[in-house]
Amino acid sequence: MRVLAPGRWLGLLLILALAGFGILGPWLAATDPARQVLADSLAPPGTGYWLGADHLGRSMLARLAHATRLSLLLAAVTVASAAIPGTLLGILAACRGGWVESGLVLLADAVLALPGLLLVLLLAAFAPGDFLPLYLGLALAGWVEYFRVARAMARGMLARPHVEAARLLGFGPGYVLWRLLLPGLLPTLGVLAAFGLGNAVLAISTLSFIGLGIHPPTAELGSMTTDLLPYAHEAPLMVLMPAALVFVAVLGCHLLAGRGRA
Amino acid sequence: MDRHLLGRFLRPVLMRLVQALLVALIIGALGFALMAALPGDQAFRLAAARYGPDMGDAAAAALVHRELGLDRPLAVQFLDWVGRLLRFDLGHSLVTGAPVLEELAMQLGYTLALAGVALPLSALLGLPFGLLAGLRPGGPVDRVTLGLSVLLRAVPAYALGLLLVAVFSIRFRWLPPAGFEGWREFILPALTLALGLAALSARVARDSVAAVAASPYMAFARWKGLPERAVVLRHGLRNAAIPVVALLGLQLIGLVEGLVIVESLFSWPGIGHALVHAIFARDVPVVQGAALVMGLIFVLVNALVDLACALIDPRRPRAAA
Amino acid sequence: MLRRSLGALGAAALLARPALGHAPAVARRSGERVLRVVAPFEFAGPDPARSGHVFARMGVGEMLLGADPEGRPVPMLAASWSGSPDGLLHRFLLRPGVRFHDGSPLTAEAAAASLRHAHAAASPLSRVPVATIEAAGDAVLIRLARPFAPLPAVLANYASMILAPAAYDGAGRVRAVIGTGPFRVERFSPPLQLDVGRFDDWWGPRPAVGRASYLVVSQGEARATMAESGHADLTMGLQPVTLARLRRSPRLEVLTLPVPRTRILKLNAASPLFADQRVRRALSLAIDRHGIATALLRNPAMAAEQLFPPVLQGWHLPGPPPRRDLETARALLAEAGWRPGGGGILVDAGGRRFACRCATYINWPELPPIATALQAQFRELGIDMAVGIGNSSDIPRGHRDGSLEMALMARNYALVPDPLGTLLQDFRPGGGDWGAMGWSDPALEATLRALAAAEGDPIALRRQAARILGEALPVIPIAWSELAVAVNRDLAGVTVDPFETSYRLHDIAWAG
Repeated sequence: MRVLAPGRWLGLLLILALAGFGILGPWLAATDPARQVLADSLAPPGTGYWLGADHLGRSMLARLAHATRLSLLLAAVTVASAAIPGTLLGILAACRGGWVESGLVLLADAVLALPGLLLVLLLAAFAPGDFLPLYLGLALAGWVEYFRVARAMARGMLARPHVEAARLLGFGPGYVLWRLLLPGLLPTLGVLAAFGLGNAVLAISTLSFIGLGIHPPTAELGSMTTDLLPYAHEAPLMVLMPAALVFVAVLGCHLLAGRGRA
Repeated sequence: MDRHLLGRFLRPVLMRLVQALLVALIIGALGFALMAALPGDQAFRLAAARYGPDMGDAAAAALVHRELGLDRPLAVQFLDWVGRLLRFDLGHSLVTGAPVLEELAMQLGYTLALAGVALPLSALLGLPFGLLAGLRPGGPVDRVTLGLSVLLRAVPAYALGLLLVAVFSIRFRWLPPAGFEGWREFILPALTLALGLAALSARVARDSVAAVAASPYMAFARWKGLPERAVVLRHGLRNAAIPVVALLGLQLIGLVEGLVIVESLFSWPGIGHALVHAIFARDVPVVQGAALVMGLIFVLVNALVDLACALIDPRRPRAAA
Repeated sequence: MLRRSLGALGAAALLARPALGHAPAVARRSGERVLRVVAPFEFAGPDPARSGHVFARMGVGEMLLGADPEGRPVPMLAASWSGSPDGLLHRFLLRPGVRFHDGSPLTAEAAAASLRHAHAAASPLSRVPVATIEAAGDAVLIRLARPFAPLPAVLANYASMILAPAAYDGAGRVRAVIGTGPFRVERFSPPLQLDVGRFDDWWGPRPAVGRASYLVVSQGEARATMAESGHADLTMGLQPVTLARLRRSPRLEVLTLPVPRTRILKLNAASPLFADQRVRRALSLAIDRHGIATALLRNPAMAAEQLFPPVLQGWHLPGPPPRRDLETARALLAEAGWRPGGGGILVDAGGRRFACRCATYINWPELPPIATALQAQFRELGIDMAVGIGNSSDIPRGHRDGSLEMALMARNYALVPDPLGTLLQDFRPGGGDWGAMGWSDPALEATLRALAAAEGDPIALRRQAARILGEALPVIPIAWSELAVAVNRDLAGVTVDPFETSYRLHDIAWAG
């Protein structure tokens, strides 16, 4: 395996640090992210709260940690739900050809012709305050990219002599898929997924910033920014912190993806 | 025009026309199906959007229901819509009562005006850096541009907008944080959009210039003794422009999505803002109209990009060279 | 080439400036300073029932009557009015010599037609038992099916605005705003902007301000910044959190005024959870009103121990300040049969958890944080309350189909300047969409009926109604409201109307 470039190492490090924060943060804060002490509204960092308290007097540390974990988890699930079916369908289209391929390509083109955001907005209106439509919309809009890349690469690989030979020799589709196609596809798909992870974090926080996908008292990075925005003058740091975490998460993912994608 | 040229331009245009038709159909059907299945009685939503929370009660909803014939079967309502669409009649907004076409034209005007400022601005900000970086890959300009663009692209658009407002409206009080009257109101939303796009275009420009600069025909041009300026202008730019133009198309599409955020953030009365509002209010004709316009712009942009790439490509057979 | 085509695209986009408005173009009086009003309320279409609040506030449209600061009716387009002894026939004599913005004279026929339109629309007038509305000489006659004392107040509501006959199309829809006010529409671009200019033929004294604009900016922070930086002359609906900062600005004067809008918790008293009055009292006792008013509204005086704020004289009861009392609340819940169960959540004898869902909406930005605060405060009692932030229409719809359990809302008791107009809707038998649900009380109904028929001592009856509501708690008051306005010191003569019917632009002048 090729050694990662320094930039990609940095990206990996950032993501691991965030994941660590998401896992260890709640334990560090040792308090319920929904617990309120109204008298401590906007308490500055240090006064009994490591990172201060929000407008309702809730621990920022606990909320940021929970929100980070939620963002990363939801983004990872979204990416997996887009990447796995997308890749498998791409390979299927390349292997089968014929009407299967034409049908899938048509479907992919149809999805591509719709602005992805429109899909998410419509789905989000379907079940306000729920993460499910957010996730569904992002996954439904996202699989096409993996499908197209997987199909194009698989077509190239199927034409290579050793793969053709294996198929002629009667190796089953499982063998061809697992031993011949996937290993070749993985590096590219990994780059795509790392990039997609960053974009999913970005999309989730953006959509919850405009008020989709959130039930109180759930902490989410985008909605924390919205909630604290009115207090930007009194507590600029509080508004900055959730946005900064989104920034670090996206930066980490993009760095990890490296320059494979511009 | 010879036959070669015809095939080259006509076929993609026809393809795009088919695609446009497909998009219109899908958006119409999807939008309608979703809106029909949405929770919350449409009449109640509309009453709230029309009359405000204080007057939006069951009696107001009953009035809306009667006025709009919402109790007709869904299929009848949908066929009605398709029939009117074929006559280029998008109906009336259920909230304001104004023709959807009229509302969309106004909102599209604001959106295009904003996009029309943001796009050149992003080219102005991004392309020169990309060009310089691409001519000396690995050089200091390249490294700084790379770093900047990676950083910039990781900033959520809403945070970027808030940051700009904090600096230019609140700290220095140079620019208004909202409104849409004069040129000053354009700057912050356009800059928010443009900065994100510039980061992307700088990278793509850099990569394609670098690829072209390393290609044999550039080396040949240099070897021919052409001055560097001429080499870059005559050969480099033209070839490097193809991916950049393709990218501009992508950007326009990204722009459409970014617009929703930026318009919400800056209270900009454009089509994205309108779409979000219409979804919340269940204003089906406006949702469908706005989605249709966005989808068709999507297709149009793709078609224009195809054409532009075909035009710029130096391998194009020249009829009158 | 690339650059050139991009430039062309930009220029084309800029030229494609939207074609705005239906209003006739009025020559721009250039050089004159425009008074810029910035407010959070969007408006939709030219129909007064939908956007009348903006037309009335900007001085474009007028009603037959107005309201004084105490909510009493005062003459506007009607110079005087009288009612028959049985309270059924009301006669409104029109002010002579009034012209609409299109030059046509105000006639009794035009006024009656406008009122008939309002009666058919979703307006407060549509809830009045009106039999006929007719013109008789210089007067409008309104005949009622039964007495309705708050009729003058309903006629002061923006939806009862009088427009010119030319404002309506053949189907009776409003297609243009042709009113009688001191300002006429110059540019109408819903939902965000309205430009007006002085109407020289207005019946009152000539306004000092020649041009004004109304701009919607939904974000409170952006509005505050616009006030601070001088981009707004009159900024409405300031968020509490921005007040301290704006007060420090030398450019601005900040006016605050209590307004009769109360944030209340609507309970479905028909649900087994809230049918017991002891449970409703326990909920009320569990609310930290002082904490909410201080942390979220930045004014402890907004803590509402009763439905009606002090500004509603006659309805407000003198009483002790609100106190949170969790001990009594727990005892009341125990009496009502709720015992602590698994996970700290209360359960009843049948093992049912005390879990409910509270609907709220974002039109008032303080509602979701207040709901989140209530969620935590009720949790301390062992009540599991989920918060759903949606559309305001979820509340009337949930009321109608019975699915609503709880709702946090802001109710304006001055939409019609006499609160009775609203209370008759909210607490009528069977409940009201924005009032009681699954709860009714014969004593309250009798009291409100007597008030509507103008029988008995109104002060005693109002107190009686307030007392009943305070004891039975069909809706639980949380916090009152105040209106905060930032005024640019370049302006003189600004006053604030507690009923928000008008910005009184015609009284304002540029200072110095």
